Amino acid sequence: MDTATISLHETTNHSHDHDHSHDHHELSFVQKYIFSTDHKVIARQFLFVALFFLLVGGFMAMLIRWQLAYPGEAIPLIGKFLPDTLVAGGAIQPNFYAQLLSMHGTIMIFLVIIPLAVGAFGNQCIPLMIGTDDMALPKLNMYSFWLVPPAGMLVCAGFFVEGGSAAAGWTSYPTLAALADKGQTLWLVGMFLVGFSSIMGAVNYITTILNKRAKGMTMFRMPLTVWALFITAILITLGTPVLAAAISMQFMDQFLHTSFFVPSHLVHAKGALYSGGGQPILWQHLFWFYSHPAVYIMILPTMGIVSDVLSTFSRKPIFGYKAMIFAIMGIAFLGFIVWGHHMFQSGMNPLLGTTFMLSTIVIAVPSAIKIFNWLGTIWRGNIKFATANLNALAFIATFVIGGLSGIFMASAPVDIYIHDTYFIVAHIHYVLFGGSLFGIFAGIYYWFPKMFGKMLNESWGRKHFYWSFAFFNLTFYPMHILGVGGHMRRVYDPYVYDFLKHFQPMNQFITISAFILGASQLILIFNILWSLKYGRNAPRNPWRANTLDWAAPAKPGHGNFDKDITVYRGPYEYSHPDRKLDYWPQWEAPEVVGDENKSQVSSLSHGGH
Amino acid sequence: MLEWLYKDMLTFFPEGVSTYSKQLDDMFAVIYWFSVVIFFLTYGLLIAFIIKYRFNPNRKGYHFHGSNALEFTWTLLPSIVFILIGLWSEDMWTRTKSEWRVPHPDVSVEVMAYQFGWNIRYPGPDGVFGKKDRSQMTPSNPFGIDKNDPAGFDDLITMNQIHLPINKNVVVNLSTMDVIHSFFLPNFRVKQDALPGQWIKIWFNGFKSGKYELACAELCGSGHYSMRGEVFMQSEVEYDKWLDEKYSAIKANLLANPPALPTPTVEEPAKESHH
Ligand code: HEM
Ligand SMILES: [Cu+2]
Ligand SMILES: [Cu+2]
Repeated sequence: MDTATISLHETTNHSHDHDHSHDHHELSFVQKYIFSTDHKVIARQFLFVALFFLLVGGFMAMLIRWQLAYPGEAIPLIGKFLPDTLVAGGAIQPNFYAQLLSMHGTIMIFLVIIPLAVGAFGNQCIPLMIGTDDMALPKLNMYSFWLVPPAGMLVCAGFFVEGGSAAAGWTSYPTLAALADKGQTLWLVGMFLVGFSSIMGAVNYITTILNKRAKGMTMFRMPLTVWALFITAILITLGTPVLAAAISMQFMDQFLHTSFFVPSHLVHAKGALYSGGGQPILWQHLFWFYSHPAVYIMILPTMGIVSDVLSTFSRKPIFGYKAMIFAIMGIAFLGFIVWGHHMFQSGMNPLLGTTFMLSTIVIAVPSAIKIFNWLGTIWRGNIKFATANLNALAFIATFVIGGLSGIFMASAPVDIYIHDTYFIVAHIHYVLFGGSLFGIFAGIYYWFPKMFGKMLNESWGRKHFYWSFAFFNLTFYPMHILGVGGHMRRVYDPYVYDFLKHFQPMNQFITISAFILGASQLILIFNILWSLKYGRNAPRNPWRANTLDWAAPAKPGHGNFDKDITVYRGPYEYSHPDRKLDYWPQWEAPEVVGDENKSQVSSLSHGGH
Repeated sequence: MLEWLYKDMLTFFPEGVSTYSKQLDDMFAVIYWFSVVIFFLTYGLLIAFIIKYRFNPNRKGYHFHGSNALEFTWTLLPSIVFILIGLWSEDMWTRTKSEWRVPHPDVSVEVMAYQFGWNIRYPGPDGVFGKKDRSQMTPSNPFGIDKNDPAGFDDLITMNQIHLPINKNVVVNLSTMDVIHSFFLPNFRVKQDALPGQWIKIWFNGFKSGKYELACAELCGSGHYSMRGEVFMQSEVEYDKWLDEKYSAIKANLLANPPALPTPTVEEPAKESHH
């Protein structure tokens, strides 16, 4: 217990002083809000940048949906403003469609979900929840954020270069990708930077969690959000360098005409540039060696968030705290030996298909364990339906479906037919939108008070939730059916095929649902902006939660805590039978039951400074 | 538009017409019904708990940290079910995809994908594919047929249309000239990526005559969606008739313009009489 806890007394004492002597060294605006090393500012920067890209990527999804519902028809309102290289008579052209689907996937995964789940919540939660003043490596943390905007701009700049943006899918399989134009080069550079941002962040998280925990905060007293982020950070440090290597290789193939992924004798306009001898499938191995763990990078943090939110609002300890941690570890470990399930039909040796099928089926077990433990958590709880909790419950509901569709695809022979169809599209959206994004929404509604010192409007929050949840399902559930019907993904005009013609009305239904789903997200944006200005001031611990972040002032300043933090118990002591209050914060000393307790309560209702 | 709301998901499969399509669909169906059960179980509990344990200020949650017996049960049960699914999948997997279980071919064709279409090659009247050499591949010689090999002179190449007999084991040797494509026959439940620089064997056996569609399932550029092909499954008689027509045309053509061996090496006489 003691080895890992460093003396937090000093740091917190300092920060205590700080609070009263703020004007001693006032930071400039730039240092405070732009090139800040404060983890909370960096968290907000990640949040806003990622929400911006959520709108950009979402807008692209709307264009994709328009094309699938009404192929060849002019895009309403905006079609006539787009250049002739992308549209003809206002209607999307095939090359533009390929660019849109590639950029949509890239943006959503690398510039929205990862920056939100890992960047925003990692930064916001880790130091506060382990009771320390900041990250171990604040400068590195700042660099980690500042790689993201240029990366995003580079990737998007593809739209303005000759040949258009990257158009080989977010998976960028060579040889298509290796032989592509400048847009793909920009994609590679952008992804390389994003990867570095991730690695810097992850190194920092691991260091911080191992070295800077408050007194008494043993590893097994850490909230599951921190555990999940810790394991996620390990996944990032092990997986992302492999992606970086693969990207460098593809970059060299493209720029210097090496042939890592380019075989001999291609009949292609650029074929003569290559000596050949490479293996296109090597890219897939390297890419999925990172990108399968990456799907857990995207969902583990939100699983942690959901666990904390559920426990808090069910007023109940999390069910099977250690089982949850071992399940996360199991997922993380197995996550590195299942990548081949993306490649069952790729032409790799079918014997490998067998091994990857068995490992993939095993990884479904810890996912199931987590579902059962969440159900156990709300069982006999006293459940409050705050917006954060609604989103957390939605996470469970959608993850059940996403996990079940995973089993179909995990069976290699069943995957033959559904691979590269809309069944996969349904699966990824159930886990990434239904799972990760709803988990992120839960986190936003839950921690907004601590991030901004204001409460989000619950009534708008509920509206946002109900519209999103209903139209999420109406948009993505039918896609399973398209997949069963054989509808390929990434096709510009499905109705070229006779066997898909009957799906057009269904695609139109999906498109209309998607438009409403897209529009519903404006409620969230509006709510954030409105609440920042007019929101109720947040009390210190609005949800009566146990974890250390709620011991900090309503809007913590530099240094976070205004009192010494010592941890006395685990993070989930809700509804303890010996206590009148239905929660028992980690930082509250055990001896004091009478007076102290009261003062604690009153300080809570006061809110921050 | 709203069929998906009331119709069983399984009814949306396009008609299966290969010998293993039914088994594959059955596997899908078993996982599907398993999922339906799990779905109603978890959703039932979720909804029941949400209703039953909704907030009541006079009540407190149950202070309970979990149970090892339960953890053990719900680790073990799914493990058993999942491993059974895995073992059961294994047989179908090797049957459909493993080279050592590819049956003896009654008919062999080669397929060479390109941006954006399919070349199909039949061995010709001599029943032998001419030697191929990737270094000789060009848009007009998509298979890189060796110009020195007489067996190749009579090979038949079609574009985007495959004729095949029913009730025969068909082996397709698959590759691509440029980028990765994927050979997808929805009705046959066949899907296999084509890799540049590599040949991959797949097989199927269709039992129903008719016209079916061939699609590309791997994003291969802006024309990806347009790689539509057609598969004509015919009775043996019809198929032979079609083949005869094509082959007699080839033979007539070879007689009229005997191909000169373009090599400076030994002249080889009577190429036409090779058969
Ligand atoms: C029960 C657990 C899961 C299983 C068994 C599973 C299985 C699979 C399999 C076999 C595929 C490949 C399908 C194909 O391309 O034919 C796949 C694709 C995918 N999965 Fe999962 N999965 C699971 C959970 C998740 C989670 C939690 C996430 C993300 C948070 C996720 C994200 C994805 C994505 C993004 C793809 C598609 C990648 C692409 O081709 O674009 N999966 N999954
Ligand atoms: Cu995966
Ligand atoms: Cu193709």
